[in-house]
Amino acid sequence: MSGSAPVTRVLAIDDSEDIHAILRARLEREGLVLESAASGAEGLAAVLADPPALILLDLGLPGMDGFEVLRHLKDNDRTHSIPVIVLSGSDDAKDKVRGLDMGAVDYVCKPFDHYELSARLRVALRTQRLLEMLARRAQIDGLTGLWNREHFDARLADALATSARHGAPLALAYGDLDHFKSVNDTYGHSAGDAVLEGFADILLGELREADVAFRLGGEEFALLLPDTTVEESIAVLERIRASLAGVCWPRHPDRAITCSFGVADRGVGGSWEPSAWMEAADKALYAAKNAGRDRVMIAHGEEIEPAPC
Amino acid sequence: MHQPDTRPHALRNGGELRSTLADDPDMRELVGQFVESLGKRVTLLESLLLGGETAELRRAAHQLKGAGGGYGFDPISAAAGALERSVDAGASHEELRASMDELASLCRRASV
Ligand SMILES: [Mg+2]
Repeated sequence: MSGSAPVTRVLAIDDSEDIHAILRARLEREGLVLESAASGAEGLAAVLADPPALILLDLGLPGMDGFEVLRHLKDNDRTHSIPVIVLSGSDDAKDKVRGLDMGAVDYVCKPFDHYELSARLRVALRTQRLLEMLARRAQIDGLTGLWNREHFDARLADALATSARHGAPLALAYGDLDHFKSVNDTYGHSAGDAVLEGFADILLGELREADVAFRLGGEEFALLLPDTTVEESIAVLERIRASLAGVCWPRHPDRAITCSFGVADRGVGGSWEPSAWMEAADKALYAAKNAGRDRVMIAHGEEIEPAPC
Repeated sequence: MHQPDTRPHALRNGGELRSTLADDPDMRELVGQFVESLGKRVTLLESLLLGGETAELRRAAHQLKGAGGGYGFDPISAAAGALERSVDAGASHEELRASMDELASLCRRASV
């Protein structure tokens, strides 16, 4: 392997060694790497161990047949979005309809013309790339490029599960730009947008590798800081505040922008519900706003207190 | 791209059956191996037919149908498909024998 272009791996699940040999010879030409499984069980294990870019699935297989393999693939969150092309000796329309309705993206009969199969593979891979791009787009905030609220909800559950599994701390911070509405009203929405974009850049610049930033909407942001206690999170948040305070905004050089933060950790060893945790961070943010903005407040259980300077 | 063979009569006259992929550099070696394996495959099919193991016979014919065209032998795929359909249709031993003879004759005449 030269290690330059990433390899596209195609898994063929078929009980015919001839088919594996023919596919291997043909797909190599297309720059694809063929991996082989001779039964449904072997195929499913291979998919779970290292998901391929695409699966070529035979229907007539010993033991578990191709339809059953397809059902398993589509029932599993880890495998359901991998495109499957049925490659079957059956040209029965009923089999075609059943396979496609069960989630296969295409159906090619054996013996196959390899030019046609290759073209269909290219189409399936092309469509897959677009689907993945759309799925990502749907979770990205169009203005700032940060993850959006939809992704926040999904990510929060993942981060909580990981934190619980490893008994590791996890901090959640809500940030809200101060008096943002007046920036919009005074200098126009494009100036407001510039502030949001600039703040997102600061977040990305100041956060650490594992931290994740989200724009929840308007001027509201959330930060997930894995392996981080509330105390440790203060250093990160203060760095962000200092960075923001140092910006000279081209559209309003005399008007600085500040941000209020509320932060809570998951309560290591405690039994906080996600909703209680989010509420605590929210309360801390509210307290920061009420105490005059431009500051960090932390939630210790029910207690809200200012971040030590 | 190869065309389906439109000369069924020519194939029955005992001449060589050449792979349409004989000149394909990606496939030449595989086609050679396939042709070499055909004798054994026919022997297996014959013994399955003689032993009345129709399920296994159908499976072997089905596989040969799926692979033959990929090696450039569409007529072998077609004949294996006919044998598979005969099994599915519950054909008599004589009918199966006729399908088998057709397939075996094509296999014997196959060359790279
Ligand atoms: Mg099969």
